[in-house]
Amino acid sequence: MKPNRTVTPYLFLVPAMGVFGFAVLFPVIMTFAYSFTEWNGYGAMVFVGIDNYVKAAQDVLFRDSFVHVLIYIAITIVLEVVVGLVLAGLVSVRRRGSLWFRVAIFTPVMLPMVVVAVLWAFVYNNDFGLLNAALQSLGLEDLQRVWLGDTSTALIAVSVVSGWVYAGFYMTIFYAAFNQVPTEVIEAARLDGAGEWQLFRSIKVPMIRNAITVALLLCITGGFQGFDLFYVMTNGGPYGATEIPTTYLVKSVFTFQNVGYGSAMAVVLTVVVVGLGLIFTRVNREKPEEVRS
Amino acid sequence: MPVTRKKSLAAVAALSATALILAGCSADGGSSDDNVLRIAMGSPGEAQIRVWDDVAAQYEAANPDVTVEMNYQDDDLYQTIGLPNLLNGRNAPDIYFEWAGARLEQRAADGFAADLTEAVTSGPIAGLFDDEVFTSLTVDGAVVMVPHSADVTNVLWFNEDIFADAGLTPPTTWDELLATCDALDAEGIIPIASGNKDLWAAGNWLAHLTSRVVGEEAYSAALSGDADFNTPEWIEAFGYVEELADHNCVNESVNAVDDNEGAQLFFQGKAAMHAIGSWLVSWAIDEAPDLNFDYVNLPAMPGEGNQESVIGVVTGYVVNAKSTKQDEAAEFLALLNNDENVQQFIGAELTPMTLSAASGEDIDSRTASLTALLETAPAIVLPPDNGYDLETANALYAALAEVLGGQKSPADAAAGIDQKLG
Repeated sequence: MKPNRTVTPYLFLVPAMGVFGFAVLFPVIMTFAYSFTEWNGYGAMVFVGIDNYVKAAQDVLFRDSFVHVLIYIAITIVLEVVVGLVLAGLVSVRRRGSLWFRVAIFTPVMLPMVVVAVLWAFVYNNDFGLLNAALQSLGLEDLQRVWLGDTSTALIAVSVVSGWVYAGFYMTIFYAAFNQVPTEVIEAARLDGAGEWQLFRSIKVPMIRNAITVALLLCITGGFQGFDLFYVMTNGGPYGATEIPTTYLVKSVFTFQNVGYGSAMAVVLTVVVVGLGLIFTRVNREKPEEVRS
Repeated sequence: MPVTRKKSLAAVAALSATALILAGCSADGGSSDDNVLRIAMGSPGEAQIRVWDDVAAQYEAANPDVTVEMNYQDDDLYQTIGLPNLLNGRNAPDIYFEWAGARLEQRAADGFAADLTEAVTSGPIAGLFDDEVFTSLTVDGAVVMVPHSADVTNVLWFNEDIFADAGLTPPTTWDELLATCDALDAEGIIPIASGNKDLWAAGNWLAHLTSRVVGEEAYSAALSGDADFNTPEWIEAFGYVEELADHNCVNESVNAVDDNEGAQLFFQGKAAMHAIGSWLVSWAIDEAPDLNFDYVNLPAMPGEGNQESVIGVVTGYVVNAKSTKQDEAAEFLALLNNDENVQQFIGAELTPMTLSAASGEDIDSRTASLTALLETAPAIVLPPDNGYDLETANALYAALAEVLGGQKSPADAAAGIDQKLG
């Protein structure tokens, strides 16, 4: 039997579309629908129109949570992407022994985030923790803090842990990108007298701009999706100083069982993240000649 | 893949993950029509789990065609999303743990609490409990919970050795408490350990303190949403919390560590007192067997409330109204509370509320004393997170943490609660 050229291609798409519809489309639609209701997750569902969105717009904690996540993203861009870039530059300079450093720096990425969070919560612990003990042994008692209990340090403390984990991840991406830079370009630059720093700054980094763009995008989206570190280490505290949209959303849905409000926040969060992604992409598309490596 | 699509899909995936969980919650739950009796609860600790497993084995031996399936969850998980998920699942529990108060009323309103009136008056559970205990377990005229234990959710535990060494006696008044804090602080000992990262640990204790100041009725009215928090009485109550902070009564890390870490300060002798509930007895015996400790109720406060009030809540087991095995569930609960098994629970440092438990001779003296404290209390204050709406409770807890941590003044904290609750 001769296949129907119009229908057959679509038949091949059915399994994938089925999975997509079940795992992505249906939940998205349902979340959107729930966002117009007041519902505790199992009792009667009451239609409330846009009340949940109005509540979200007026909710100071929800607005603050976006400020916190933006600060977190700004810090992690430095600690993850910039540090990852520098580390990649360092390990790519010398081949001998670089494998050991790459494995050592990448290892935190392989640890479950909850384990990392618990470990670092102990490091930061005011009474039993390593950090304050180390400061004391160095005679730096003035620098001792209740790291996770002080509003001025808690967000930074969590961000540092994120940097410790993901700097190795970005280092791996950049290291692979550096290896794609044509050796003749590197050699030509060396012949012109370029040192390692000049090679890194003027040749390697500009030539992996695509990889840097992807890394920044991953860091920004990853920041908005951050949850486990915050949930385990501070649970949004102290005094809401580390409350980010995801932790606030989860509290709303699962602790206070405000499924409707939580759904509205999930929709707002998605719109914000998609919007930022579109802007980011548009900005990078406007300079195609710079994007090409 | 173009970055835009990749980006969009990442965001959509995040939303989807939340939505999938939510969609899962929406399933119409119900009990399986099989021969499995399912029981769900938070983790009661190893000693009690051994008793539960033994009771399950007893039931299976007496009913060979029935299998008992125990589901122990992490406490926080169970209290929040765990139980609702189970109740809405295909294999919903036939019996589940619950706290009396607003939560129990909500379960009954949602159709998950069977009417046990007949079972406790003329059925298998009849005669096991004093009839009066069912008063707080009755919703719309129907008994909907079989009590298991009455937890005093907060007292002030103290390390007897530290107090003896410092020549101190346990505080019974507010002034004595502050003086004790000053004396201990001067010796470099943390006066009161508390791990309040999740807000309930100190929140529960300080809520009791505020109830003593504003009075039980005002406390209940505010937490029920029938009155404001921003009143002179509440501001005065928050002022006492501020005094605690001013006298360095609590560990500096109070709002950075969880309840377990807070307890460790007490277990390791770094803190002289610890404000937590009756469950500390079995916990301390397990983790710090050499610790000499006892308790005093919250010291008397200057205020409108009953100064001998006790903060506590009755916990117990509910039979799922959607269960097809309600009779079997009632029989299981009767077996659970027979004399032999009650003695087993007492051996596991839990005193059931049955009449037979009162005659037990092996109860830890502190546990027995706490049971008596609750039974003879002239006024019982419900913990905010068990007795009232969770969002309101959390707003109060957050405000108390802010005052304790010096982040807000009493007036701002009181106003902040009303603002947050709209």
